[in-house]
Order: sequence, then C-alpha cells, then structure tokens
Amino acid sequence: MASKIVTFTLNGRRIEVLVKPLTTVQTLLRDQLGLTSTKAGCKQGGCGSCTVLVNGDPMMSCLLPVEDVQGQEVTTLEGITPTPGLHIIQEVFYENFAIQCGYCTPGMIMVSKALLDRNPHPGREEIIDALTGNYCRCTGYEPIIQAIEEAARRMNGNGN
Amino acid sequence: MNTREYFLPQSVNEATQLLAKHGPFMLVMAGGTIAMPLINEGISFPQKVMGLRRAGLSYVTKPNGKITIGAMSTLTQMLDLKEIPILQEAAHQVGGWAIRNMGTVGGNLFAPPPAGDFAAALMALDAQLKLVSTAGARIISLTDFYTGFMTTALSPGELVTEIQVPVPTGKTAYLKYGRKHANTPAVVTVAAQIELDGEGVTNSRIALNAVGPHPIRASKAEEILSGSPLNPTTINMAASAAAEECEPFSDAIATEWYRRKMVEVYVRRTLTKITDRR
Amino acid sequence: MTEEKLNVVGQSVLRRDGLGHVTGKTIFIDDINFPDMLHLKMVRSPLPHALIKGIDFTKAEKVPGFIQALTHEDVPKNIYTILCLIGVGPDEEPVLAEDKVLYKGEQIAAIVAETEDAAMEAVSKVKIDFEELPTVYDVEEALKPGTPVLKHWGTNHFVYEGHHCRRVRFGDVDKGFDESDHIIEGRYQTSPVEHAPSETTGCVARPEPDGRITVYTNTQALFFTMDNTALILGVPFQKLHFVGGTVGGGFGGKVDVIVEPIAALAAMKTGRPVKYKFTREEEMRVSSSRGAWRIYFKDGVTKDGRILARKITTYADAGAYNRHTPYAVTKHAANIAGPYNIPNVWIDAYCVYTNRQPSSAMRGFGVTPASFALEVQMDKIAETVGMDPWAIRFINAYRNGDMKPHQKVVEDATLIEVMQAAAELVGYELPEKFKKMSSLNREEA
Ligand SMILES: Cc1cc2nc3c(=O)[nH]c(=O)nc-3n(C[C@H](O)[C@H](O)[C@H](O)COP(=O)(O)OP(=O)(O)OC[C@H]3O[C@@H](n4cnc5c(N)ncnc54)[C@H](O)[C@@H]3O)c2cc1C
Repeated sequence: MASKIVTFTLNGRRIEVLVKPLTTVQTLLRDQLGLTSTKAGCKQGGCGSCTVLVNGDPMMSCLLPVEDVQGQEVTTLEGITPTPGLHIIQEVFYENFAIQCGYCTPGMIMVSKALLDRNPHPGREEIIDALTGNYCRCTGYEPIIQAIEEAARRMNGNGN
Repeated sequence: MNTREYFLPQSVNEATQLLAKHGPFMLVMAGGTIAMPLINEGISFPQKVMGLRRAGLSYVTKPNGKITIGAMSTLTQMLDLKEIPILQEAAHQVGGWAIRNMGTVGGNLFAPPPAGDFAAALMALDAQLKLVSTAGARIISLTDFYTGFMTTALSPGELVTEIQVPVPTGKTAYLKYGRKHANTPAVVTVAAQIELDGEGVTNSRIALNAVGPHPIRASKAEEILSGSPLNPTTINMAASAAAEECEPFSDAIATEWYRRKMVEVYVRRTLTKITDRR
Repeated sequence: MTEEKLNVVGQSVLRRDGLGHVTGKTIFIDDINFPDMLHLKMVRSPLPHALIKGIDFTKAEKVPGFIQALTHEDVPKNIYTILCLIGVGPDEEPVLAEDKVLYKGEQIAAIVAETEDAAMEAVSKVKIDFEELPTVYDVEEALKPGTPVLKHWGTNHFVYEGHHCRRVRFGDVDKGFDESDHIIEGRYQTSPVEHAPSETTGCVARPEPDGRITVYTNTQALFFTMDNTALILGVPFQKLHFVGGTVGGGFGGKVDVIVEPIAALAAMKTGRPVKYKFTREEEMRVSSSRGAWRIYFKDGVTKDGRILARKITTYADAGAYNRHTPYAVTKHAANIAGPYNIPNVWIDAYCVYTNRQPSSAMRGFGVTPASFALEVQMDKIAETVGMDPWAIRFINAYRNGDMKPHQKVVEDATLIEVMQAAAELVGYELPEKFKKMSSLNREEA
C-alpha cells in the first residue's frame, strides 16, 4: 500500500502531501491538515457541506481523490477568510442570519463564492440553481438566497 | 477504505493495459460520483482502483454532422453543447452544480436507475459508443449496450472511451420528473426525437429512464407514431403504450404504480412539447 | 404605563456563534480528534426479526488495526434506559442485542479499531448466525391475534396503567352521534420522516487521567444523556463529564441516547479516546424517525356545523422499541380532538410495536400528525355540511373556561385570534360575527 506524494496549490500556497491510495481531499483537509471548515455531512456527494473549489469550480471533496488534484488549485473556506476580518460573503451570511446550526455554512459560502466570481449579478433563479447541491436543514434557504443577493450588491459597490 | 493501489493512467493505452493486467479485481472510476459513495459508506472495498481523470478523455469534437464526446467529459461540459439543446437540458437535470462538475458522460451510462438521466437523452439521439481494450476498438449502439440491471455489453478489459452523437435531424424534447424541482432522483425521465415529413412521423425514438433496469426505448409507442400524424390522439395512444410496455420498479422515490402513471403523463407532455416546437 | 427600556426585545441581535459558523471555526464533533483516538463502528442486523445463534469475530480480528469487539456481555447494565429515568417502563430495549433483533439495523456488536476504515472493514467481516423470524410491519396487523409477538409481556402494544392504549373518555359519543345530522368518517396515514440533520449523530469519549470520562457529544439533551450513560455503565454520575452545546441540526433526532454509552464503554475498556459517529446511511436507516401514524376519525355533526361527538382510534408505529413513543402517544391523545369545544369525545390511542426502525421525538412530538389528520377532517366536515372551512372552525373553537376532553380547563385559547389575524394576512374578509368573537368569553346566543 504505497503512499504517494501529491503536489498542488491549497489556498494559494503550493503544498506537498503524502497520501494513502484513494485518500479523498476531504480526508486530507480534515484529518491530515486539520482544516476542518470543510465538513463531512454525508460522504455521498449528497449534502454539499464539503464543497471546495478546484480551479474555481465547486466540487464535493468527499468524492475527490487527492491524486486527482495534482497540480490544481484547491480553495477552502480558510482560504477566502481574510486576516483579520471577513469576506463580504461571510459578512452577509452573518448579518442576514443565513446561518443557524452552521454545518452547511462553509459549503454554502464556497458555492456562493464560485457563483459570484462567474456572475457578479446573479438573478434569484440563478442563485437557487447554484445552490441545489447544498442542503440546509435549518434556515429554509430564504435567508441564504437573500444573503447572496446582498453580497452581490455589496461587491458591486452599491450595498447598504 | 482499504484500497491498496490507486492508478491514474495518463492515456487510454496505459489505462487498457492496466485493465488487462489487473483485470476484474480493479475498479474503474470516472468522476467517482457513483463509485466513491459506496466506498465511503463501507459497502464496497476495492483493493485496486483506476481513475480515468488523466487519461485524456475530456474532449468534445465536432466532425461533420456528429459530435464526439470523450467519456470523461463532465456533465458541466455538456451545458456548452449549443448544437444539441436536448443534451444541454439533460445535463442540467443531473444532480447539482458540484456533481455536474465531477460526474462524467461515460459514468452516466453506468448509473443504475433511477439515475442515468443523461444516458436517456443519448439513447433518444441514437448515440454510438466506442469501446476500447488492448485488443482494439469497436462501436456499439447505446441501445444494444445495456443487457440488464447493472450489466452491459462491455467485455472484461474494455473501457468506454467515446460517445458519438449524430446531430439530431428531428425535433427533440426532454422532461425529467422528480419529487423536487432540481437535484432529484427521477420518478421518470423521457427523451424523444421525432422526425416529421410534413404532418407524418417518419422516424421516432423515445427513451425512458427510471422505469426499467436501465434506460429503455419505448418501442411500442414508437411503432404507433411511425407513419402517423403527430396529434393529440396519436400522442395519447403512444403515451398509454409506453406506460404499458415500461418495466417500472418501486423504491423510496415512487411506487411502480405511480411511475407507470407518470410515464403516461410525461410521454404525453414530451411529445406535446415537440408539437409545440413546430 | 412607562415603557421599560429593552435591550434585546425588538432588536435584531447577531448570533453569538455566527462568526464561528461563517469562518468554519466552530468545532463540531467530527472536528474533535485526539492523536491516540480509536474509531467505533457498529455491527448491525441485516434482518428485521431474527434470533441470534452465534457471532464469529475471527475474520474481523485479523483486519489490521482491529482493537476490540464489544457485545452485550460487556455492557454493565444492558438496558436502554431513556424512559425509565422518568418512571415510564418497562425496560425493553437492549443497548446491544442479546439473543434477538427486532429491526433491520439493530446494534449487535461494536468494533473498535485504529482507523475508521479498519473499523468498517472489520465490521464487514463479522459473521452472525441468525434464525429468521416472521415479521410484522403494519400497526393494525400487529394487534391481531396470530401475528408474531415482539415484546416479552406478550403483546405488540405499550401498556398504559394496565390498559391496552391511552384512553380519553368524555361525555357519551353514542348519544352525540344519535343527535347529529351527519356522520363523517376519515382515515389518515402519515409516513415516517427522517430528521436528516446536516451533522450526523456522534460523540467522542475520552478517558481522563483522574479516572473520569469526558464525552464530547452533539446530543440535544446533554444531562439526560449523561444520566442515562451513567446508569448503563453502572458508574456514579460524577465519573462522567459531558461537553456539548454545538449541534449540527437536531429537530428531535438527537435526543435518543444511542452513541454515548457505547463510546464511553469502549473508552473505559481500551483506555483510549473513542469516536462513534453515524454515517449518513446510519443516520437515515437507524437513528429514530418521526413515527408513522394511522388515525381514524368519526364525527357527529349538526347541519349547522356543530360537532357533537368525536370518536378517534389512532395508532402510532413505535417501530421495534419504545424510545420516546409512549410519551408521544400521550401527547397525541391529549391534542387530537383539537382546539374545539366538543361535548362528547372518545379516544383510543395505541403505541404499537412493529419490525420497523424505532421512531421517537420529532418537532411536535405526536401532535404534528394529529394536527394533519384533524384539520383535513375539519375541511371534510365543512365540505359535507356545506359550510365555509373558516366558519366551521370559528363555530367549534374552544374558549377559555371550556373543558377539554382530557379533563383540563382551557386557560390559553387563541384559535379565534390566530384565525382572525390569519384572515387579515391573507386578505380574507370574515363575516362580522367572527370578527367580534373572542377566546376570552362566549358571546350570548
Ligand atoms: C448527489 C448526487 C446526485 C445525483 N443526481 C443524479 C441525477 O440527477 N441524474 C443522474 O443520472 N445521475 C445522478 N447522480 C449519479 C451520478 O452522479 C451520475 O450518473 C454521473 O454521470 C456518474 O458519472 P461518474 O463519472 O461520476 O461515475 P463513476 O462513479 O466514476 O462511475 C461509476 C462506474 O461506471 C463505470 N464506468 C464509468 N466510466 C467508465 C468508462 N469510461 N469505461 C468503463 N466503465 C466506466 C465504472 O464501473 C464505475 O465504477 C447523482 C449522484 C450524486 C452523488
């Protein structure tokens, strides 16, 4: 059972990791690197709580072997959180009560980031479409949708 | 997960050689959206796994009148296929955004029902598959590819490398019905391609998913339409024929009874959509 | 009246845990790891009803990383105690199955291993010899003679103070039916519902150098869980230190004490921290669900819409074991006649056992299915009598001072005011006489 060295860019920093065969990005992040913002809600690709961005595209890290991201750019919630302070998306999730138990929040924010990076003016339907792979069991989604609309306004400089 | 070896071949050649060497004890994995959940849950314990993400199969080319899709192309890539709107629609109906970024066209052919929504559209378009092994390549139609529930005509040592789709000459329509609006297993999926000569149907292909052991053709319904005009009467006849000939199952999503009812409704709606598109 | 200056009421106050949530820094159970931590996975019954003839761990023990297997023999007091803590018996659920299993997924043996993967692999290699038994899945079927009996006291229903069900008797329903113009019957069936919390049920139990055990858990009921765990382990309460508060969604699904006792036991046995966390599939298939209910209504109603008699027979599918269902049935029985003033009421509410996954608490606790059936029935009454569904509810609404069927005086009626406000919100013009009604008193006839 030979472990392999994999090199990729994690949150803007090139790293080298040693992983056992078929280790997932989720397991690497959480159990090897201690980056636990990426959650493990189902390990079935079904809940979206483990969403990370690979070259800017949302992917379920629970289904993604680390070796498959060799040479790629992976971004997690830790990677978009400024020090100090909050990213605009984090700010609006916090202020608009788009959070309740907090478990789906990291995945929701990552998808929101990918959406707004591509489409700075998403319509309500586009927001809903982007979120369909991410489950929230507490909020009923409405505050999340509104938070993303608000984030878009603030990022485009006409917030508040 | 007790996987001892994970291979990531850099070409089809390398992939088929690995497959020839390690044989049936090696799990082939494309996007992993079907295979990985089983491994994570402790249902499957493959000793050896071969991933295809690096094998150079994520391409779409457009030679004359045909679109060839590398088996590792993702469903997200299919959203750009402006030439074939039914494939765009079908791709958008699979999972959510992240699943479409990972799940592949090749993998969808192997998805056990009620999954396989993209494959149903391919079947309505008369897609051909290229199967490759160390012994060579062969072409087989998607309709002939399926042999039973989770069994296919794929021989040991073979991979699906390419899906070849003739650009449709008829009118197409696609409807997936699930319990939710999006990211949902199908109660039934209907994909249809109808060629019309004036009012009369010259050729029809109706594919159904989630109501059989794999995506199936509604051949009795097709027969009814052939040579007939496409109007509410023939559409109703075809819809009830489809409901009768399909082989639905009961699962957590829907009962056999309900699926059969919905086949009738959704075949009717799909065909009506085609008449609306004239 | 002088206005008090309020700091929080009427204000939007940012969540205290919000910053942790949006940065991903909140620590959930799965984020807690210790370098020497072991993982526990459960060997579960593949059958819904069977006798256990033997268990063979030989192959599981050979899996690299295997540490220990635990069976019911290792559990000091192998009784799931959740309701005996509040005096509701009898004891009927083992922590780990002894000689038989009553549902698919029932816990039989715990495997503790160095890694989660090793634990899962070892679980897949445990061989159990079963003798299959006939099953029962339907609540009414379960009460018929000749069906397999699941409980040691000889019936498939919970016994309420010597009675076959929770009973409510108020007035004389037969007399009420005789005086009615319409008899309106209805049968209602709900399905089990999974809570599906985003974070699955789990805990980490860690032995401390002072001999105590710290249990980090996402339970919704921290002290309840601690007390139960102490009873099962046969240790004084002060031997346990429970740390909780961060719950990745519960909705009632995290009040059953399932993972903590066995993880704590494993920690005691191995002297190392142990994590036991459900997979998503376990959460769906094994954690208790909202029960399914079957409810029969028979109402006697006058032609001007007064309900004179209401007879209800209702069955809760507890699944294989009690968990919280006997209590849910009691709440159900107290609520199912509805917020209506009905002079004659008769209710039989059964808590029935079947070979299904146990059901338990979920938002509303037996009242939600009651409300569903009740309000559909109210619409049916309105339709039959030919009245507006709003009117039927105003006419029958109870007021303060009325007597409820379970012999409690109404003190907090609000139905009328809620309906008045709802009508206004949806823009429905109520007749003047309904607008004037009040829950506080009954207008002169
Ligand atoms: C949350 C979620 C939602 C989903 N929703 C849908 C949906 O709405 N509709 C739907 O149809 N599906 C759905 N799926 C299933 C799945 O994502 C899709 O069917 C997807 O297209 C499968 O492709 P894959 O590449 O990920 O398959 P994989 O998991 O990689 O492949 C599965 C198996 O197919 C075989 N295989 C794959 N490619 C090849 C090849 N080129 N040659 C030989 N053998 C091969 C292998 O045996 C492999 O193990 C969903 C899955 C998830 C997790």
